[in-house]
Amino acid sequence: MNILGISAHYHDSAAALVIDGLPFGAVEEERLSRRKHDADFPVSAIEWCLDSAGLDPDALDAVVFYERSMLKFERILTCALRAFPRSWRAFPKAIKSSLGEKVWVRGIIASYLGVPAHKILFTEHHQSHAAAAFLTAPTRRAAILTADGVGEWATLTVGHGERQPGGSTSISLLREIRFPHSLGMLYSTFTAYLGFPVNEGEYKVMGLAAYGRPTMIDRVLRLIRRTRDGAFSLDLDYFDYHTTAKRSYSSRFVELFGPPRSPYEPIDLDTSEGQRFADCAASVQRVLEDTLLGLARTLHEETRLPDLCLGGGVALNGVANARILAESGFERVFVPPAPGDGGCALGAALYADRVYFGNPDRELPDHPFLGPSVDGADLARVAREDHQCVEELDDHALIERIADDLVAGRIVGWMDGAAELGPRALGHRSILAAPHERQMRDRLNRDVKSREEFRPFAPVTTVEAADRYFDLPPGGTRLARFMSGVFPVRPEWRARLAAITHVDGSARLQAVDREMAPRLYALLQAYGRRTGIPVLLNTSFNVAGEPIVNRAREGYTIFRRCGIDTLVAGSTVVTKGGSLPSKAS
Amino acid sequence: MPEACTTRLDRMLRPVHRWIWQDDRRRVRKLLRFAQVERDGGRDILRAAEVTPDPLLRRLYLAHAMDELHHSTLFEERGVALLRGLSPESRPCFETSGHGPGGHGLDDLCVERESDDALLAFLHVAEMSAAGRFAVYRDVVQHDPPTQAVFEAILRDEVFHMNYTYSQLARVSRRQRPRIWRARVVRLWKRWLRAATAVGGLIAEVGLTVLYFALLPPFAWLAKRAERREPPGWSPVPPARKDSLKSQY
Repeated sequence: MNILGISAHYHDSAAALVIDGLPFGAVEEERLSRRKHDADFPVSAIEWCLDSAGLDPDALDAVVFYERSMLKFERILTCALRAFPRSWRAFPKAIKSSLGEKVWVRGIIASYLGVPAHKILFTEHHQSHAAAAFLTAPTRRAAILTADGVGEWATLTVGHGERQPGGSTSISLLREIRFPHSLGMLYSTFTAYLGFPVNEGEYKVMGLAAYGRPTMIDRVLRLIRRTRDGAFSLDLDYFDYHTTAKRSYSSRFVELFGPPRSPYEPIDLDTSEGQRFADCAASVQRVLEDTLLGLARTLHEETRLPDLCLGGGVALNGVANARILAESGFERVFVPPAPGDGGCALGAALYADRVYFGNPDRELPDHPFLGPSVDGADLARVAREDHQCVEELDDHALIERIADDLVAGRIVGWMDGAAELGPRALGHRSILAAPHERQMRDRLNRDVKSREEFRPFAPVTTVEAADRYFDLPPGGTRLARFMSGVFPVRPEWRARLAAITHVDGSARLQAVDREMAPRLYALLQAYGRRTGIPVLLNTSFNVAGEPIVNRAREGYTIFRRCGIDTLVAGSTVVTKGGSLPSKAS
Repeated sequence: MPEACTTRLDRMLRPVHRWIWQDDRRRVRKLLRFAQVERDGGRDILRAAEVTPDPLLRRLYLAHAMDELHHSTLFEERGVALLRGLSPESRPCFETSGHGPGGHGLDDLCVERESDDALLAFLHVAEMSAAGRFAVYRDVVQHDPPTQAVFEAILRDEVFHMNYTYSQLARVSRRQRPRIWRARVVRLWKRWLRAATAVGGLIAEVGLTVLYFALLPPFAWLAKRAERREPPGWSPVPPARKDSLKSQY
């Protein structure tokens, strides 16, 4: 059975193809269109999925859209009515945007793919999140918690799932918290208030939080209150996101927390103003963690299951995930590599396959490498044309050579095999560097990534070595598989891992095993043989404002214009040389 | 070789430009907007460098893109410097909550669909137009030497961009003049489409606003009444919704 999953029209559009119950390929549209967080209907991603499987649209048994567009429209309309007359500016824009394209999804899919309307299915947004989290995790029974900004109406759901080996699958979402009460929107409101772009800057808030003290918790708790049934509600007087698309926070919010930060002003943590913003970030981070933890504890008491699957954009908050693992009572916490909307395309397709069509359960590959593959030969050709130094090496020689480069302090652009699905670079589209000196962090921020100084870099190590350098709770290695948890660096190693140790002594670790990423694993071992520490700095292979690279040529373009010293794609190694044409010529 | 020349329209509009650039707030907004447009344009040209099969063009596009990204930085730095000079009350408000995906510049260029000669012609026309416009801006910001210096620096690069696109167009296409004229027509058509879309959007917004106030009040009253009855906290997931995937509702 061939099932195509699609997510689109909000942010991070994506397509995923499931063939006979197994993911064949999945890619976010941004990787192909090169527009970060591309929300357009994912034409290129769909084409890539079908082309790489050699399928015509006629061969599809179903096309599944990741949310119910008319239900979402109902929510938008209802919210506009509830906010009458304050919503008079937002109403025409919302209606235009919805009626212009978003509610006609069935027609768009049918006309683009030429599939009959009865083959087009719709999951609910949080069903898609739940399926992406549960059906990709190596567990048979688990509690499920999904949380994001908003889907149709739901912003947070809890439930449980069960898979019988080779048999049936069930996913039951039991209850939900509905818009406008939303943990994701609470966090996004602070993201906007702190001058970062919504849907992109949330991890900056998490990074900034480490520099602050949670001195404003009492103020944040005026915004969010626990309800008697154990859920939460927001005091909407402090928010504007439910009445207008222009601003998330209200003037009362500004009265409570002070003037917002201009996105054009850098955060200077040596000033009282900079510290206020850091304290603000620390406070909302703590409240988010406590709220999620409370919900997870209740879910654990209710289900008595050892495993928890987390989905939705809020599951990208690695600090909260680590606390849930350590304190909620669950023994294992699974977060998929793409818990946000991009991963919903895969979740929707898997949900249709297992639950709607009732196909028997199959073990899924436990890795995120579902995207287009990199072509080392293409890189070699392009680099030779530009008179760069190109070498083609066998695997062993390449690993040894790159390990030497890393020891020598060179920054390496590393492209290997199929691209990751999701926002994290997990070893196939990464920039790697030595993790020991703080200067490396500053160099990467300045010469490669062009990003704020306060933001940390993540480490990658082998599963065997992880516990030696990082203080992992039981189950921590699993959470670190897709870089989903933030854990303390062991104090005795902090000075020698200065480039990846955040100001609070933590790091967002990735722990790889040989099966998941054999070449990266071998590189870590080779680096460990040279330095005694098999840990590398691993950051996504992109620069500020651009998506992670997909093809070798995109990596090459970044290599040419920033401070990366060595570029690897497949068996090709390129070292910097040559120059761009002069303006005088 | 072409030169940066201002169009008759730009010369006619010089008093308007002077009026716009005299105000600090408007100047800040303009500079920051230019920073965004240059950044998006730079990314488009980077994409061109990635997709072209021509090695020389790849290198030139890359140099061009890096210039555009540098211009973006120049504009932004100057805009931010001016912003800092404004009193807190007069600072324009910048929303980050309405953030959308990265754009493709003002001309909505789709690089993958363009051949090298079409792209070069388009870039040549766009650079020539931008250079003419920037020359006017440079002249009307004489009261602000740092901003004038930014335009001066950018204009120097624009001359290089105009020249290389022109000479490379001659190299890759025998039909250089028709290509440039076609690019002008396409650009004009896109401008018309943009204007028509904006006018259409405005008409739709006015119509919807009228509907909003004329038709919605009773429904709004009902919606608010229903909202008051909704208990806070958990809601059960309706079983009917879970079962079928056929419905969009």
